[in-house]
Amino acid sequence: MTYSSNYKLASSSNAETDPCLQISALSVMRGQRLVIDQLNHQQPAGTLCLLTGTNGVGKSTLLRTISGRLPAESGHITCTLQRFYVGHADGLSGAITGRQNLHSWATINSQPVTPKSLKIALAGFGTLGFADMPVQLLSHGQRRRLALARLLLTRSQSLWVLDEPSAGLDKDGHEHLEKAIATHLARGGGVIAATHRPLLAAIKNPINLKLEPR
Amino acid sequence: MGPFFGQITRDMQIAWQNRQDISVMLGFFVIIIALFPMAIGPKTAILETLAIPIIWIAALLASLAGFDRLFAQDVRDGWLDQVSLSALGICWYALAKAVSHWLTSSVPLLVITPVLAMMLNIPATQLPALLVALLTGSMALTLLGVIGASLAEGARHSGALISILVLPLSMPILIFGGLAAIHVGGIVSPHLMLLGAMLALLLVITPIVAACALQVSEAESGI
Repeated sequence: MTYSSNYKLASSSNAETDPCLQISALSVMRGQRLVIDQLNHQQPAGTLCLLTGTNGVGKSTLLRTISGRLPAESGHITCTLQRFYVGHADGLSGAITGRQNLHSWATINSQPVTPKSLKIALAGFGTLGFADMPVQLLSHGQRRRLALARLLLTRSQSLWVLDEPSAGLDKDGHEHLEKAIATHLARGGGVIAATHRPLLAAIKNPINLKLEPR
Repeated sequence: MGPFFGQITRDMQIAWQNRQDISVMLGFFVIIIALFPMAIGPKTAILETLAIPIIWIAALLASLAGFDRLFAQDVRDGWLDQVSLSALGICWYALAKAVSHWLTSSVPLLVITPVLAMMLNIPATQLPALLVALLTGSMALTLLGVIGASLAEGARHSGALISILVLPLSMPILIFGGLAAIHVGGIVSPHLMLLGAMLALLLVITPIVAACALQVSEAESGI
């Protein structure tokens, strides 16, 4: 398995800063199968890493391992920032409203939350129109927007781990996502995102990490 | 403590939206208890000795009913992924789930028990000892149920599996709880103290066991 991890730094002074995410010789097993074999990767704060590859190549597995949800067989993952994960499952309870979901998420993460900051986060993904409806009545795309709106409640110095963030989003939602990521990067946060869709043309110099089938 | 109470608040909000589940469980509890006098017939002597064990067994069965959904919904929704990265952590999460499950399933049972005790002809003087024993015992049973639910997470027919795991382990609670409930002369009895000791032990063990079990079930299952 070969991995290409070419990254261009925005400025050379960044090269001295510690990477916010460093992966060395990482191997991950799923069942009896070695999915990720000796992966090396690092990215400084303020950068976006685009994780690409065919279906079943191990993108979700890698992102879940970075999030600490799957154990690594060998190797190390060092992450200096707090991590926030948005995966295939939206992490929303269908019984309660989007606003309640976001509020409880902020509380368990010890993120300070006020009605105002909640409103700003909800508006950041254009969800105010349906934020007070039970989530079970919402469409896939609307739930996705709520799941992503959570990220706007986080402090700027964090690493966003996004698994297919634009799945189910319409054009407007996609624009909100690009804007949120660009703002987050400008504030010194990091993003690693798996995607099939051409994402974030607006963001210059993403790090490309392509997983090859074994 | 903010994240801990945040999780409990969330569970309360969800339970409020699904409040019909609580009435179903209460109905189940009442029906089990109402069936015993029918089956035994009008023999008050037998009923008198059986009344308190009947309440204990009905409470045990009624509170077991909800455990198959305790973690399953959060795993499916992806909430557990969010919890594992959060300030809360899976240990405290498991304890918060135990507290909210106790509040939503055992507290309604405790509230309705005096009425059912009257139906079963339990003397009013016996009621304080019964209620305190049920209060302590139901907390311990909830914690045992949380262990069972975390071990059975991801399994098919987890409801039956949880019953098989939890019911044998609940025997000491049933024995000492039953003895504490029939204690005459004051509420505090040696049996109640032993029940309290079991509760204290479970309070320490449960979050750790549940967190380990949930981590393992995540690593073994699919995405």
